Amino acid sequence: MASVFDGVEMPEGLNPEILEHLMYPHNYGKLDDANGIGIAMDEKTGEYVILYLDIKNDTIDDIRFATNGCQDTVVVGSIFTDMVKEQKISYAQKAVEKVYEKLGSTMSEKQQVCADMVFTSLMAALKNYENLQNGKKEEAHILKMKQSCETPEEQQDEQ
Amino acid sequence: MNNELYKRKHELWLKILFASFAIDDEAIKSRLYDFSQIAFRHMKWLGEAILENGGDYNYERDMMLYKRQSVFEVLEPLKEDILKTQELYGKSVLFERIKSDESYLLQYLDELLADEKNDQAVEAFSMKNRWDKLDAPSLMSLTMFLFEESYKEYELILVYAYMQARTDSLKEYNVFQDLVDESHFHLKSFGNMMAKLGILALPRELHELTYKITDLKKFIKDGIAEEEAAKEMCRELASSINDERLSSFFTFIDNQENYHIELMKRLLDE
Repeated sequence: MASVFDGVEMPEGLNPEILEHLMYPHNYGKLDDANGIGIAMDEKTGEYVILYLDIKNDTIDDIRFATNGCQDTVVVGSIFTDMVKEQKISYAQKAVEKVYEKLGSTMSEKQQVCADMVFTSLMAALKNYENLQNGKKEEAHILKMKQSCETPEEQQDEQ
Repeated sequence: MNNELYKRKHELWLKILFASFAIDDEAIKSRLYDFSQIAFRHMKWLGEAILENGGDYNYERDMMLYKRQSVFEVLEPLKEDILKTQELYGKSVLFERIKSDESYLLQYLDELLADEKNDQAVEAFSMKNRWDKLDAPSLMSLTMFLFEESYKEYELILVYAYMQARTDSLKEYNVFQDLVDESHFHLKSFGNMMAKLGILALPRELHELTYKITDLKKFIKDGIAEEEAAKEMCRELASSINDERLSSFFTFIDNQENYHIELMKRLLDE
């Protein structure tokens, strides 16, 4: 497991490394020659993460992501895409579990939802890659989020 | 006219705007901000001309905001960028107007660059992340708020401008204009605060999923929820921050958001 998360606090406890990811998110944007595109969509809030993969020989040769979500989503996306870039697909899938193990207790509930959007977009992109390899026509694979990243006030308003 | 030119004008607007944020000298800051607003109008007019000619544009961009350490390090590349963009203009009344405005800006930049006294240090990218009198929790809240909301204001400016260019309703057009104007002011306020903290950074690029709106009513309802969330963040900051002037600024922004919600509700009535 890469040690990119070692000593890294999440945005609620800002450190210079997090500040750097906020100012200059890594792997942000589109990938024109992607062969796997996944979207994690929160239909309740309209927030999404779209993730692009360029997979060669079962390895993530390149990766990009974009989101209209909050800064927690951006920081997780920036760090996580660094982590799985140039790694085997199997590693990327395991990395999700490892990150949860490592950060689960340090993240707030809201941050966990944001992180989940990033990981879900990766799963969707891998599914899109698999579908395309099997000859299915699909522009992007979309997975809908079960949990929503809302403020408690917004949730109360709906009750 | 094509998207490449639109992209360059989009980038030029941001370059002038962020040069204004980065530079401390109030006179230079203010002049550059005025020029950035003119550049935004160029972008708007160019977008309208592209649509009238049956074309289309998007918000892709290909730029970095480099960490500069002096005023001249900010201004010299800006001057080069303007000159390079001017090579792309064709012949039309709009292009003549844009070239004239930019020539005047170039003249102003030359005047600034001719006087060594203007070459002051730039602290906007120093990452010092300090604000006089603010304790650590207040500073952290302020930092997160500024990253969150500077992106959001940039997003709103572009999304509303995109919809404004495509609506046939005068009522919608006017509401979009009010919302764009309001977001310009907020982006200016937040950008200058980020520069003061030494954490000035470009808002991230908008993906087309964000601005190609297929359901306006859903978008507005989500937007109202976001405004409510922003108001809550302002209220929290205003009550927790241990700096009276900053606190009253966030109360002022909170109250402005109230009226944004009213403006957005008008769009739901359409």
